[in-house]
Amino acid sequence: MLEMAQSLTEEEKYHRFMERIEAGERIEADDWMPDDYREALIRLISMHAVSEIMGALPEKEWVPKAPTLHRKLAIMAKVQDEMGHGQLLLRVAEDLMKPLGRNREDILKDLFSGKLKFHNVFHMKAPTWGDAGIIAWLVDGAAIITQSMSLNSSYGPYARALQRICAEEVFHAQHGESIILALTEGTEEQKKMIQTSLTEWWPALLMFFGPRSKENVGKSHVNKNIKYKIRTKTNEDLRQEFFNKYVPRIQSIGLKIPDETIHFNEEKGEWIYEQPDWDEFKKIVTGHGPMSKERLELRTTSYENTAWVRDALANRNVKEAY
Amino acid sequence: MNNDFYEEYEVFSKRNQMAPFQHQFSLLAPNKEMAMVMAKENFLRREPCVNIWVVKKSDISSLGEEERVILNRLDNKSYRETKGYGYLKKKWREYEQEQFTEKNLLK
Amino acid sequence: MVFNSKEELMENQKAYEATKSLLYQLADDDFLIAYRGSEWLGLAPHIEEDVAFSSINQDTMGHAVMYFQLLEELGEGKADDLSHLRNPREFRNAVILEMKNGSGTYLEKPDYDWAFAVVRNLFYDYAKTIRLQSLKESSYKPLAYMAQRILSEEYYHLMHWELWFKQLMDSTPEARQRMEAAIERVWDDFDGVLTLGPKKEDMESCQLIGGEKELKDQWLKRVQSIFEDVNYTIDRTPGMKNGNGRKGEHTEDLDQALSILSEVYRMDPVTNW
Ligand SMILES: [Fe+2]
Ligand SMILES: [Fe+2]
Repeated sequence: MLEMAQSLTEEEKYHRFMERIEAGERIEADDWMPDDYREALIRLISMHAVSEIMGALPEKEWVPKAPTLHRKLAIMAKVQDEMGHGQLLLRVAEDLMKPLGRNREDILKDLFSGKLKFHNVFHMKAPTWGDAGIIAWLVDGAAIITQSMSLNSSYGPYARALQRICAEEVFHAQHGESIILALTEGTEEQKKMIQTSLTEWWPALLMFFGPRSKENVGKSHVNKNIKYKIRTKTNEDLRQEFFNKYVPRIQSIGLKIPDETIHFNEEKGEWIYEQPDWDEFKKIVTGHGPMSKERLELRTTSYENTAWVRDALANRNVKEAY
Repeated sequence: MNNDFYEEYEVFSKRNQMAPFQHQFSLLAPNKEMAMVMAKENFLRREPCVNIWVVKKSDISSLGEEERVILNRLDNKSYRETKGYGYLKKKWREYEQEQFTEKNLLK
Repeated sequence: MVFNSKEELMENQKAYEATKSLLYQLADDDFLIAYRGSEWLGLAPHIEEDVAFSSINQDTMGHAVMYFQLLEELGEGKADDLSHLRNPREFRNAVILEMKNGSGTYLEKPDYDWAFAVVRNLFYDYAKTIRLQSLKESSYKPLAYMAQRILSEEYYHLMHWELWFKQLMDSTPEARQRMEAAIERVWDDFDGVLTLGPKKEDMESCQLIGGEKELKDQWLKRVQSIFEDVNYTIDRTPGMKNGNGRKGEHTEDLDQALSILSEVYRMDPVTNW
């Protein structure tokens, strides 16, 4: 019986794999999987992982500057969670890469060299405390929408990591709401601060979900991901969900969306809005955004400066083994 | 060289005295002492926890995809379970006695 | 001598002043080292460690908040004002705790020194634990109660930093050399943590905390013991090379820290944030 299972041809294995996918079974790290499934997962999850880690950086600027003791503690906990999300997702990606002889070091090197991209929003400037509020409320809000789509991902380890992540995202969203509401209910200065932040971040928020279809910006991996049940919705589905959830909320607290044309078209059953500049998007995600260079440098420098620590403990292991 | 820094550890924890150990997640650490110190805050910074295990991944054996066929079992083993003895309830009622069940064991 | 409440404490002018002075030291020490720790966020040598270190910093800043709240109760003003609006010369933390993590800033070219972080935190956690054990017996009961609670979070911090210290001291020659340099640097300013400052006699005579000398000896003993484990000796006593923070003497690093910490709050200290 065991031998029979092993003697399946590649084609039969693929067939059985697709049956499992269609039956809603979960694939685990050590299971057989087609190369393009593995590749699709590595691409998606390693990008997700480094985005969490790079995402900690714009918010980190506001950790010591957060206005009160309570806010300082809360944002510290929030950014810590983001590093933790990076950790969870890196572990998932690392297990997928192991058969290819690659590990965390390789992922980080790809990030530093620009080969591995991270989310457009984390290339942006965050010059005021209002930005810390917008990031936690709306960037995290957008992230919750994309992440919860994959809670049922066909890849078990990814789905389990996302379950941990989403539980924490609820705290992030409330932390963001709390900052935003204090500002919109505050002084004129504070209101101005948060309105400026929203205006600045709006195009980046729309870009967060990616272009509507591949005509807009080169190749897209969405279809394959849907076939393999890694994700279940298109970029535009997600962006529409974001509008449903947040446009009314944004307007109800007196903030103005910097798009005169945005409205819900009852007939089409969808939001009509001004497209962000997709050429700009391409530029940003390929490492030419306003803060791309600085943020990568920050990570690279700190990684290089602490190399001696990793060397020291690695060599300590070698020493003990003899 | 740095690769020796990245050993894989699986982390388990116990929620309370009575709870069984449960798998949490995995992490990379250079040795088991470091793995323990990292485990607590990486996976257990909110939920209650009374103990932690860290286990080197390479020390765990598990079933491969093909080997999992050994878990197959026919559903003809009701003799092993209480559902095979359901008729006793009626019998005992005839004697005006209660049947011995899990429920009255735990009572 | 026992003060069960702030009312009882405030009847004794000497004890009242000494308590406030002690609380400022406790609060400012925790506040500054937690701030320096928080600058590491995202930059630690290992991602798992980043998460662990951040928890320690949150705990420590949380302890500072508790002390600031005690000061608030004693009529010193709002905890947020105390932490954000005081002039640097009014801070009573030890100088070694305000010092930058290395050259550069947390936003640009952070050439941070992990050896310095490990040594500074370990030495501080030793001192803090000894101090808290003594404060459990403080004549000011609200402080004694608080010390007991804070102490419960110290075990993890100690385990964490002792492990880093021992492993790095016992690894590569490069790591050993960096660690020894960090020990010497921290050593030469660490007396600033161990001193109780100008109100020392009042603190001692009102039994707010144990004797300075006695606490210092305990600390030295504890440090000697870990030095022995890693085969290290140092032949001088801890110093106060860069000033006595308990007297309000500080370095530019504190000015830098406080201007970052209060940048937003100072925009409007009255409004709700
Ligand atoms: Fe996240
Ligand atoms: Fe988040």
